[in-house]
Amino acid sequence: MSSEANKNSISSNLSEQDVKEELQRQPHLFMKLAENALTVAESLRGNYFRNTAVFVADLRKAIRAAAEGKRPDQILRTENVGDADWSQLQGEVVTFVDGGVGQAKLSSQVPILLRVGSYLVRTGERNLAEREQFGYYPVILGDLEGGSKDRKDFIDIVRITAELLGGLAALNRNADLDVLMFHGPLVYLVGSYAGHTPFTESDIDIFLHHYASDPEKGKQIKEEFLRKAKLDIYPRMTNNSDEWIKNRVFEPLSFMAYLFRRLIGEAKSRKKAPLIAGAVERGSLSKFIEKVLLERVFRGLRAKGKHDYFNDMHGRTDLTSPKALIDKLGYSDALLLGMLLDPGQYTEPWTIDKYESLHTGQLTLPGKSVQEAVDFTALRSKDVGFPAVQGCYIHVSNTTEPLRIEVFEDMGEDQIAEAARRVYLYSRLLPGYGFPVGLDIADKYSHVPNWLTEAYGKLIRYHLGVSLQSGEISDAEMRRILVQAIYMTSRDWLFRPKS
Amino acid sequence: MATNRPTETGKKTAAPNAPDRYVGTIVGESTSREFRLAIAHETLREQDIIAVDAELRPTDGREGNERIRVWAKVQRIERLNPLFPAESGHELAATRTSPFDTVLSLSREMVTAVCQVLGAEPIEGGSGGKLDQVRYPPQPATSAYRPDTSDIARVVLGELEQKQDRALDIATLSNRSEVDVKVDGHKIVTRHLAILAMTGAGKSWAARRIIEELAKKKYPIVIFDPHGDYTGLADVPELKNKVRRYYASFPIFEEDSETVAQIVNTLGYELTGAMSGLFEDIFSASKSFIDCDQSEKGEREKWLASAVNDPNIVKFGLRPDMWLLARLAQAGETVVRNKSDDGKRQLSNWGWKKIEGYTGTEAKTLEAVRKRTFKAAAALSRMERTSQRVARNADPLPLDRKELVRYNEISIIALAGYTGDFQATIYSLIADSIFDARVDNSLSLPVLFLLEEAHNFVPAQANTPAEQRAIMTTKQIAQEGRKFGVGLILISQRPSRLDETTLSQCNSYIIMRLVNPADQNFVRKVVETLGEDDAKMLPNLDVGEALLSGQLINFPVLVRMKPPQSKGEREEEDAFVALENARKNMKAAEPANRPDRSKN
Repeated sequence: MSSEANKNSISSNLSEQDVKEELQRQPHLFMKLAENALTVAESLRGNYFRNTAVFVADLRKAIRAAAEGKRPDQILRTENVGDADWSQLQGEVVTFVDGGVGQAKLSSQVPILLRVGSYLVRTGERNLAEREQFGYYPVILGDLEGGSKDRKDFIDIVRITAELLGGLAALNRNADLDVLMFHGPLVYLVGSYAGHTPFTESDIDIFLHHYASDPEKGKQIKEEFLRKAKLDIYPRMTNNSDEWIKNRVFEPLSFMAYLFRRLIGEAKSRKKAPLIAGAVERGSLSKFIEKVLLERVFRGLRAKGKHDYFNDMHGRTDLTSPKALIDKLGYSDALLLGMLLDPGQYTEPWTIDKYESLHTGQLTLPGKSVQEAVDFTALRSKDVGFPAVQGCYIHVSNTTEPLRIEVFEDMGEDQIAEAARRVYLYSRLLPGYGFPVGLDIADKYSHVPNWLTEAYGKLIRYHLGVSLQSGEISDAEMRRILVQAIYMTSRDWLFRPKS
Repeated sequence: MATNRPTETGKKTAAPNAPDRYVGTIVGESTSREFRLAIAHETLREQDIIAVDAELRPTDGREGNERIRVWAKVQRIERLNPLFPAESGHELAATRTSPFDTVLSLSREMVTAVCQVLGAEPIEGGSGGKLDQVRYPPQPATSAYRPDTSDIARVVLGELEQKQDRALDIATLSNRSEVDVKVDGHKIVTRHLAILAMTGAGKSWAARRIIEELAKKKYPIVIFDPHGDYTGLADVPELKNKVRRYYASFPIFEEDSETVAQIVNTLGYELTGAMSGLFEDIFSASKSFIDCDQSEKGEREKWLASAVNDPNIVKFGLRPDMWLLARLAQAGETVVRNKSDDGKRQLSNWGWKKIEGYTGTEAKTLEAVRKRTFKAAAALSRMERTSQRVARNADPLPLDRKELVRYNEISIIALAGYTGDFQATIYSLIADSIFDARVDNSLSLPVLFLLEEAHNFVPAQANTPAEQRAIMTTKQIAQEGRKFGVGLILISQRPSRLDETTLSQCNSYIIMRLVNPADQNFVRKVVETLGEDDAKMLPNLDVGEALLSGQLINFPVLVRMKPPQSKGEREEEDAFVALENARKNMKAAEPANRPDRSKN
């Protein structure tokens, strides 16, 4: 693997022409640039491709100069895991977690069920029965009382909560867990999810139903959250915390934050703390280049008196800050880093600010119609809110975009390097996709098959028709059908009992 | 058609619920010809026979549902691990990494058995072993199970259960060796059988087993044996005094002169136009030497012995062979060269009318004919001697071919030693005369012909008149033999070189290992009862394994042929063992006082 990295080294192509030719050989980058060239302002279109090539060539020269000690400040620090080898990762217990949503073809197009799948594998284990375990956690969305079902992101808060519980369950069930990897950001940009109607206790019971074989463990989570919510969380978020506690409601974001803290706490309590990471494909984030790469570029240009480098290049006057450059030229982390990183290389980590969008807002309690004010900024606090997240980008192959890896800052400094090594090796097994193969397996596993949702839709339509004709709609019967259809998931080949 | 040991005829077990008999569940689209079973790992093997129970409303308006058992055969098994992407495999290969050392999933395979519906029968009995056509597919999600051995045996036996006197016990089911497979002997002897297999796959073994079984039924059989594969039949104790071996002498005087001249040409001694003209005269004169009465024959032998200066002619007498032609050509040449009017007259009186007009020119031509016929006679003699040696203690072919067909007897005609054309000619002469005898009722007994290396007797394309004639003979028997009680067993290692019409007239097939793609395609095309998946198995069959297909069996099954009691002449001995044995024999034959050179 390292040999491939050396052979295809992009950092050796330092001229504009070299960069152009190289980009033309990488369809995923070329297409993205072509797309950008069509969507940027008209004045930027003409030389978009050439100017980008010039900029990338200059960046590469600057990176190389710093690496060779010819330049004091490095604008992009990188590490290489191209020589990572599976022999270094034998005997590890790895769990991949992903969630899938099933959507029935009904007129409302409302998602009807969600399931989180987990795939646990012991590397090096030859006995298949010992080697792999699959688990899943289904949630029927119609069963939930809380959450604002009219909002498009309702499904997201349910999925994120269920995935977190899936990860927590995996950690609790395996005392020897070495790696816990989530599909997607470890923590989402949660600000946009603020304001949902809190979950009720029965909602949480549904979430916790598959959490552990021992119901006491689920109950423990619930009660511990409510205790903390009563003492430390809800009073900081609302003036109506007594009412919230009295009704035993679970505000979605604060419950998520609690689950994150619990996950980290449990992991850190282990003698050997497991690696916990999220892997993000096709990310559109541009935070890394804005806050790290371009920030340094602009600083360097200013130091050299070349503050009009970009304006001169593009014939404009407004390209004066990283944010302006990104906004005007459509650069993203994956696009620029895809042109700067060799396969096997990953960037220096940076702290991703995920919580700047947490502000004050409003929500409605379950069964109520009145909205009340809530201060979500309380969840920025480390003791009751979300954990800090570090990220980096890793380039797996020349034919795919760099992936973003996220880890918890609290889990220690070595988590990024360890995560990068594993993500690289896991992803090399899917070279065409460039994504950890274990997450792809969990994705397939959690996927709600079409035959199920289609059959589900037909059953619902049929039942509704019969009920309407007979003049009665029996909710109990409807419920029975739903339960039956969910039960049918165990007939899916993936869920067959172990032979 | 099969029985298990001991036979439990007519007895059926109820639909099983025992978990150990469950093999899978019908998934996907089910049709009345095929369905797919989701199965656990290694539950079934290809060619296994399974069953599915179903309930159908009777079509005749009777009350209640009819419970039927649908029988099916596993045509192929598909394994798929959807969680193991192909590109991962390539990466593992490139980096020489074991998948077990990675995070790839290896445990979640989907195993599907594609099953061909064979037919159905009422669960409560009453079908008499015959399977009905299935007109409504089995229900998806139905459980399939492995039937009892006795039930499989009963169904494979089919209608033959009631006609045990026809049954030939020739094989066991390949996947269930406890189930004997019996085939319908009646269908074999009346509707023809083809045994098709590559060299070494066991076709002669299979044929001998069938012959031995037919011999138990006392059926008259005539075997055309080009390689001595069947000489061992005579050594089987049960066939003692029932097997007659014949070596073939080429009956040249049953042919016309043109054909015999052609034979001389074929042997490499070409007759020119002028020679052919004289050859016709010599042939008709020779024929009159054979056909004359015994008293005159002695006189002719004396004259001929004197004319060619060969006292052996008187000593051993004249035989109807090429030597007679050669000697008569020599006598004619001598008479003409010596300008012996007496000699000319004598020969003219004995049927060589034109010799009186012969001069020195004809003498030269006669000399050329004489040389060629002598050489041809020597070549034919060599072939005959080889045939005789392979046939071991054999008799010459009877002049009345009907004598080859005897109740409770097998006649083996050894053709070894003869070239293809001669074999074809000998075969067609014998087969024609027996078939004609059956047509004109001069032969009362039915007969079965067995043609080993059938592609030499019934080739797809005739390159010589001999082949053309053999094709015509075989085609006629294949098409009309059933009416006249003449059956055929064709055995070939190159089916694609067989005449398609003749092969398609065979209603039963035993197909063993075939590797040549042309042969596989040809068999697939001609044998209608052979499924596509069956055809794909052909290159992978073991030695002795065979697909039985057609009228001899209730439905196509994969079997393992039972060994015959007899041994073939050509059954291979280890070459190095043979060498050591030969050396030992040589040493034993050496005089005791001869020095042993190996010690020096």
